[in-house]
Amino acid sequence: MEHKSEWEPRILGVLCKWCSYAGADLAGTSRKKYPANLRILKVPCSGRVDPLLILKCLRLGFDGVVVSGCHPGDCHYQTGNYRARRRIALTKKFLEYIGIPEERVKASWVSASEGLKFAQVVAEVAKDIEEVGPNKLFARDGD
Amino acid sequence: MEQVLRKEARKLLEEEKVDYIVGFAPGSLKFSTTPLITKEKEEIASLVINPFIVNNLAKFLTEVRGRVGIVAKGCDSRSIVSLIQDNQVVKEDVVIIGVPCSGLIDIVKVENLVGKDRDEIDDIALQGEKVVVTAGGKKRELPTKEVFFEHCLGCEFPTPQEYDTLIGEPVAALGDKELSRKKIKELQDMTPEQRWAFWKEQFRRCIRCYACRQACPACFCERCFVEESQPQWVSSVPQWQDNLIFQVIRNIHVAGRCTDCGECERVCPQNIPLRSLSKKMSDLVEEMFHYKAGIDRSAPALMSAYEHAEAEDLIR
Repeated sequence: MEHKSEWEPRILGVLCKWCSYAGADLAGTSRKKYPANLRILKVPCSGRVDPLLILKCLRLGFDGVVVSGCHPGDCHYQTGNYRARRRIALTKKFLEYIGIPEERVKASWVSASEGLKFAQVVAEVAKDIEEVGPNKLFARDGD
Repeated sequence: MEQVLRKEARKLLEEEKVDYIVGFAPGSLKFSTTPLITKEKEEIASLVINPFIVNNLAKFLTEVRGRVGIVAKGCDSRSIVSLIQDNQVVKEDVVIIGVPCSGLIDIVKVENLVGKDRDEIDDIALQGEKVVVTAGGKKRELPTKEVFFEHCLGCEFPTPQEYDTLIGEPVAALGDKELSRKKIKELQDMTPEQRWAFWKEQFRRCIRCYACRQACPACFCERCFVEESQPQWVSSVPQWQDNLIFQVIRNIHVAGRCTDCGECERVCPQNIPLRSLSKKMSDLVEEMFHYKAGIDRSAPALMSAYEHAEAEDLIR
């Protein structure tokens, strides 16, 4: 067993209730292994995800945020994921410009039948974040 | 030009086509102007047009109730169009008095270049590509590139695209894209760590006076997210972390609405280079979604539209 003080990434997964959350469930029921670094937040639709939520979580110390919803064309509300895509893509690019590494904010499409893909996505995200290291962006430094 | 404007404004009031005229009047300081919102015909005589009409008057459209005749430069008219797209303003209630703008002079730059306070300067005149400054009987010529606001240097639409009457002749765009993006270029050449350190230092100085938000015509929310208390997204105490989050989210909110009028940066009492955020955002919007703010009033707003295939490279 590794030493307790060794850093492990803390990742927030914001999952849409119709596809990705069910995908995560399927990953579990199919006994797919994926890193246990993910904390899951269920939302009604990826279109609900406010960029403010992403920033707030980074501010609170999450090492990364992954937003996941239904594949384009499959949104339960028809267009929620298209709207999410514009918003999140722009947020990602803008955060990169101000200096937040793009590895910290990820997005994916995982359907309810893609348990395996869910496990893969989480593994990839966790690996990327392990490479960029702990999130000290908003750490206090004598301010 | 001013005479034509005054005649036009007076006519609008007399014919009762509008309830108010929103324009510029001389300010209390030399080489400054102040917004004028009036329904009195007598006050029309104080309307001015000069290279110091810095405010984006579109801001007042969401505040003044009734039909409004508004003086608008290129950037202002785009802000008005953007407000119409967002259903914040009804086109029928607005008469746009378009004013072609060949660039606005930053008085602070003039003061620094001639080494004199604005009160010691007698005259500043815009003559083609030069600005002639007269002080203490001496004349000095300055290139416009050195005294114009940065956003004016890169202006693509100096002549309003949307107007009911146009005062004067259309002017050509300066369109010096490189010069107006100098700071952005410098930032892009840095590493992410350096960029983060840069913005951190900038927002350490922010006092959260919200002048940027108050001056911005695209910031029309009745209640700003920073004032929400359940949940409280950002602390109301000015800490750099929350200052930065406020500004980043503000920029995301005005994405596709920002017309690069430069008001946020101009009004900032701490001289935070806010335009290096907002202009970058407009560039991203154009690059990723081929969208320019305030060009087509019948088009849906950026965030209320989508294409079936776009930005997929950013998503797993």
